[in-house]
Amino acid sequence: MLLKSTARDPAFRGRLNAAIIVLLVLWPLLQTAEVKPGALFDAGNLTVIGNFLAAFLPPETGSEFLGYLGKATLETLAIATAGLALAFLLAVPMGYLVSGAGREHPTLNPLSRSLLTILRGIPELVWALVLVRVFGLGPAAGVLALGLTYGGMLAKVYAEILESVDATPARALRQNGASRPLAMLYGLLPQASKELASYTVYRWECAIRASVVMGFVGAGGLGQLMDQAMKMLNGGEAATILFVFMLLVFAADGFSGWLRRALDTPPAHRSSPFGWRSGGFMLALLLSVSASFHMLDIGFGALFSLESATSISQFVASFFPPDLSAEWLAKVAKGIWETLAISIVGTLLAAVLGLLLALPKPRAPFTLLLNTLRSVPELVWATITVLAVGLGPFAGVLALALHTAGVLGRLYGEAFANTPPTAARALRQAGAPAVVVFLYGTLPGAAPQLVAYTLYRWEMNIRMAAILGFVGAGGLGQHLYFELSLFHYAQASTVIIAMLALSIAVDQVSAGLRRWMQ
Amino acid sequence: MSFLLDGVALTHANGFTALAEITLQAERGERIALIGPSGAGKTSLISLLGTALAPTTGRATVLDTALDKLSPSQRKALRCRIGTVHQAPPIPGRQRVVTAVLAGRLGQWPAWKSLVSLIHPVDIPGARRALERVDLDDKLFARCDQLSGGQLQRVGIARAIYQQADLLLADEPVSALDPALALATINLLIDDAGQRGATLVASLHAVDLALSCFSRIVGVKAGGIHFDLPAGEVTTALLHELYASEGEELPVLAHEPRSIPGAAAQTAALAACC
Repeated sequence: MLLKSTARDPAFRGRLNAAIIVLLVLWPLLQTAEVKPGALFDAGNLTVIGNFLAAFLPPETGSEFLGYLGKATLETLAIATAGLALAFLLAVPMGYLVSGAGREHPTLNPLSRSLLTILRGIPELVWALVLVRVFGLGPAAGVLALGLTYGGMLAKVYAEILESVDATPARALRQNGASRPLAMLYGLLPQASKELASYTVYRWECAIRASVVMGFVGAGGLGQLMDQAMKMLNGGEAATILFVFMLLVFAADGFSGWLRRALDTPPAHRSSPFGWRSGGFMLALLLSVSASFHMLDIGFGALFSLESATSISQFVASFFPPDLSAEWLAKVAKGIWETLAISIVGTLLAAVLGLLLALPKPRAPFTLLLNTLRSVPELVWATITVLAVGLGPFAGVLALALHTAGVLGRLYGEAFANTPPTAARALRQAGAPAVVVFLYGTLPGAAPQLVAYTLYRWEMNIRMAAILGFVGAGGLGQHLYFELSLFHYAQASTVIIAMLALSIAVDQVSAGLRRWMQ
Repeated sequence: MSFLLDGVALTHANGFTALAEITLQAERGERIALIGPSGAGKTSLISLLGTALAPTTGRATVLDTALDKLSPSQRKALRCRIGTVHQAPPIPGRQRVVTAVLAGRLGQWPAWKSLVSLIHPVDIPGARRALERVDLDDKLFARCDQLSGGQLQRVGIARAIYQQADLLLADEPVSALDPALALATINLLIDDAGQRGATLVASLHAVDLALSCFSRIVGVKAGGIHFDLPAGEVTTALLHELYASEGEELPVLAHEPRSIPGAAAQTAALAACC
């Protein structure tokens, strides 16, 4: 083939157009998200956040406060454990109903499927915010919120895991007369048990983070303590709480890693598959679940009384019909757009930040920094960024960016480590400087992985951006929090439906994208 | 009577006719080999007998139970009495051998017993006896992913033996095994069915194995029954007719007789065994 005589790159025009389109799309997004880096250096804001951060040192270590802190830590653990236990009880039958695993004929199960979509499509924080109004301030709302949302998530994932393993063992058992549950226990569970247990432990880890966050809407635990400390701008207390919180997250991380490794040990050569270790573990599990419920002292009996049933149904009825006036719908639509803008700008910022933190060597200090960023949930970051740049979507963008940078930085680092080193080595031997080696040698190989990770986090951030407004960081959440505090349930109902629709849309789009990319 | 198919046809949802107007019947204790080119309908016939597929038309009766209008509990009761040996043993790798064998009676046991057996095997002696038959009793508490392919296949057979079924179906049970093991396995199935007076229906790829071990040979071709004869009356001409679509050579157990030293002796031993 003959080359063109002109020295023009044929790909150049396309790239230029793409860059212009990206800028054109990004500009209104930046406007909506109210990105004003200047706000970070505004004198007033600087004093507030400066005083607050200065008060971090020394952290509060008074014995009275430490007593509260210990109790709140235990409460957080108990909420996570009890919530997950509830979720598990909900997920096993629901997953069984929804899953096509072990069935001889495909079924649709539209009812249980849509119930699951609603349960997990509404964020746990929204459930908590609503349930707090039914059950009052305290851990009951948090436990139930976790149970409902995580029950929906666990059920869906359980169903999918059971569908993904080899179906022939169960089919063979059914053809020899075994019932569906037994065929699943004998034919599918051995293949899926490790993945099921591993995902459940991972969710427990998430539940600890979530239970901290739910404290901000009054559902008890460390979050409630943090909320009080933030409202009183007590930096010393906030520092101690944050520190304990990070310890908790790291410990949960380590514990779940240990558990997942323990699942790999083959059973001993004896008649019972369960030895002292699994027996001891089951006992500890049962004890901790019952201790959790005992400590939280949830009057589940009272929940199921006729009196509470009527008050609950009255409360639920007050959400209907949702406010569908054009004026309110326009406001909600604006909220959705703002939520999307926060999520996009926040994720992009996190990608840049994460990339910068994923590269420098030696890794140790940067790994610690990334882990710290990642262990603080977005909503907790938002309470701090709201102090730094004032109320509004920009605080949400920063909060998302800080947490997501921690997650993405770690994932990017792994992607770079897994990229074949030959190309980079050749360039280095040719005498290229480090930056050039990275851009020409490592980045092209790792790019698809980086894009996949970033898109995946963006998907999660859309959901997160919807609730950051609870602490004043813009988006749909701000409307919901505001309307609920004014007891405007019809308006709140519209916002919840919008959140649900957003979540379902994200699900559908990402499933479609994944199919398209395969 | 073990089973009776009367004018049975099976058409798949995509319009493909797997079986066309088949009539076949077997008495209790018969040993029947199904042979024929691939795609002839052997697997469909076995699935139909195992109630995994329902006939589109015609009457089918298995173990004195009519297959049309079966209630779920009747179907379950019938299925308990049908054992199946698969080409690839359908056993999860992380399951222990003892559990995999005991799973043969899930349909017969009450649910509580099956649940208890997950925590502690309820019939260790029974599982051990079944495994002794296939020479694997030392692997009773091993995990199935620690076994070789041939050992796993024998676990699948031990499960079928443990089930004590009245009708034993086997769909290409030995096509993944080497000739010596294939022969031993078929002998084991025949032996077990013979002891309990159960009926054995096996589809086989290797014509020589079918002819030397089974008393009745059913040739299946293009969804129909090409011939149904005692083993002694099956002629080479009939076989060539049956396998016309697959070329000149008949599929046999020892695929490359000229390249394996001592294969002739092996074939002779095979003929002597059965």
